[in-house]
Amino acid sequence: MVDFARVQKELQECSRDMEASGIRVSPKSDNLAGLTGTIPGPIGTPYEGGSFEIDITLPDGYPFEPPRMKFVTKVWHPNISSQSGAICLDILKDQWSPALTLKTALVSIQALLSAPEPDDPQDAVVAQQYLRDYQTFVGTARYWTESFAKASSLGVEEKVQRLVEMGFAESLVRSTLEAVGGDENLALERLCSS
Amino acid sequence: MEDCSSGDEAYDYSSDRDSLDAIENEEPDYPGVSSKSSSTKVITKESLLAAQKEDLRSVMDLLSLKEHHARTLLIHYRWDVERLLTVFVERGKASLFSEAGVSMVECQETNSVLSSSCTIMCEICIEEVLGDKATRMDCGHCYCNDCWTEHFIVKINEGQSKRIRCMAHKCNAICDEAVVRNLVSKRHPDLAEKFDRFLLESYIEDNKMVRWCPSTPHCGNAIRVEDDEFCEVECSCGFQFCFSCLSEAHSPCSCLMWELWIKKCRDESETVNWITVHTKPCPKCHKPVEKNGGCNLVSCICGQAFCWLCGGATGRDHTWSRIAGHSCGRYKEDREKNTERAKRELYRYMHYHNRYKAHTDSFKLESKLKETILEKVSISEERESRLRDFSWVTNGLYRLFRSRRVLSYSYPFAFYMFGEELFRDEMSNDEREIKQHLFENQQQLLESNVEKLSKLLEEPFNQYADDKIMEIRMQVINLSVIINNLCKEMYEYIENEVLGSIQVGNHGIAPYKSKGIEKASELSVCWNGKVSSTADKFLPSDCGTSGKSEQDFFSFFFLDFYNLEE
Repeated sequence: MVDFARVQKELQECSRDMEASGIRVSPKSDNLAGLTGTIPGPIGTPYEGGSFEIDITLPDGYPFEPPRMKFVTKVWHPNISSQSGAICLDILKDQWSPALTLKTALVSIQALLSAPEPDDPQDAVVAQQYLRDYQTFVGTARYWTESFAKASSLGVEEKVQRLVEMGFAESLVRSTLEAVGGDENLALERLCSS
Repeated sequence: MEDCSSGDEAYDYSSDRDSLDAIENEEPDYPGVSSKSSSTKVITKESLLAAQKEDLRSVMDLLSLKEHHARTLLIHYRWDVERLLTVFVERGKASLFSEAGVSMVECQETNSVLSSSCTIMCEICIEEVLGDKATRMDCGHCYCNDCWTEHFIVKINEGQSKRIRCMAHKCNAICDEAVVRNLVSKRHPDLAEKFDRFLLESYIEDNKMVRWCPSTPHCGNAIRVEDDEFCEVECSCGFQFCFSCLSEAHSPCSCLMWELWIKKCRDESETVNWITVHTKPCPKCHKPVEKNGGCNLVSCICGQAFCWLCGGATGRDHTWSRIAGHSCGRYKEDREKNTERAKRELYRYMHYHNRYKAHTDSFKLESKLKETILEKVSISEERESRLRDFSWVTNGLYRLFRSRRVLSYSYPFAFYMFGEELFRDEMSNDEREIKQHLFENQQQLLESNVEKLSKLLEEPFNQYADDKIMEIRMQVINLSVIINNLCKEMYEYIENEVLGSIQVGNHGIAPYKSKGIEKASELSVCWNGKVSSTADKFLPSDCGTSGKSEQDFFSFFFLDFYNLEE
């Protein structure tokens, strides 16, 4: 049985310094075994400015067994599946310790966003790109952050549509937007100068 | 057999009895192969504890440790006492301990007792608990007993009994097994038993020199070897096996060769090959069709006619040279080559497999022969005769069995050794040809002598006169010696000339033992003997190094050494 008393305390603890850490954990429903975590993208990374939602399921043995976590928000990162959101992180597997908490696990995931480990990849395609063509990787990661991890993300299709209406080909518009990290004005500049 | 059956030689023999007896003495006394000197040991359920204690004790004595620390160290170093001590000497105590997750006990001893008067904040359940409801491990981390118990239960159920780490993040320390046992048994006595069994069986499962006997149904024994894991052993239950891969004894095949061979024989991969060579799929129903004569217009049982040459569907009208509305005379090189190749591979496999099979079958038949021969011996022994000793028959029979095995496994060996599957790039074609030729010479020589021996032993010697028996006796003894030497030479050739030059893969083979597969003897426990033998190896080479920890080690060693001297 999940130790709900501890989970309850963890949630209190987490909400106390939410302002400082930016990390939020909230139950999906009355049942504390299913939760949602949110982490801000680390500053100075392609994930900066994004807000990433993580689905948390607590196994019966929690905290003696690790919580199961995966990204709900799509993210472009060597250690996170671009398809399923599965996370490759040791403390969520064999290096889990009951002394860790949901918050510390989320902090570790945040740290993973800042420091990818392409040698131990979850998503081979992303890892290849990271190693061979770092610039493109940064561009794609930033574009994904813009497209999926921002409140304004919903606007991407509108940006595309506006630029297409100006007479640019849709595929070109998309790739240019991706390259400049989703900034509509920058994209327009590039499209005009090319 | 003709070349050594002249009467003169028989006469020579009887006049020169001593020298022949000397040869005969080289032969083993079948079936009671001597097992006193064997270095392989059977570990039964009963002696497992003793065997484990033996190694534990040597480490405890040398490093002055508690048992559970010694066990943690040994589990980490896979029960290799020598390696453990090497690490100790080369890198020191601190590194040895921290790598294995053993805490330095000395500094923690003082505060490990918690009084009931104080309270402690358990960081796992985030509750305040009384001091006597919490436990501090050797590493210094302290949590409440309920949380510890829960942690242990999860870990034991995950199969990690042998390495239950402390709950603190990044703390590598292994929990004290006494604490685990004590706490778990309060809630789940059966799980505590399981935990104990896992610890005990670690001696077998984590030890590269010990293996469970693979007999089915399992006899419950394990076998420990001393130096070389490439060997063949016989468990006290009578089961013979290759220690390295646990399948049947297969020397001079290497384990990899044997695995491939067994798979090949079982897979019917060659049947598939046959089908590719000899049949074509019907273009309509796709069943393989075999051509059983006639012209190149074949018709499948489904009624579809097709051209045998190209496999394409055709009409039914034809002449001897033409099929109506169809021509396929264009040459397709690839297909021809592939068919040729498959055919050649198939024949090659058949060649080796037939001979392997023939010797295996002979071996089975000759095993039956054993009974009839023993009967003949007892009849002969009862006869009024000056001949009393018939050990040469059983010895000869034993030599026959032994060499038959070598011979039969030498064929799959040759199949892989001189084929392209494993060692294509390891030898040039010329080199391969020369080596194969020399090997085959030896193999054939062995083969012809084995057949001679087999024939001789089948003779109804119990009906013969004494001098005729003496003649057979001498031939059997001669042949046995020759065969034994041939086997030895073949192994030498394999080890030095053929496998010796191979760089890829691990192709160690169990060495030839003229006395046959070694019977493991029951383990007798002797504490001090083991300690001194291990320490002996360490004394001469490492005396020069000095340092605090090394000195500790040697003072322990000397203490023990002097105890022995007394």
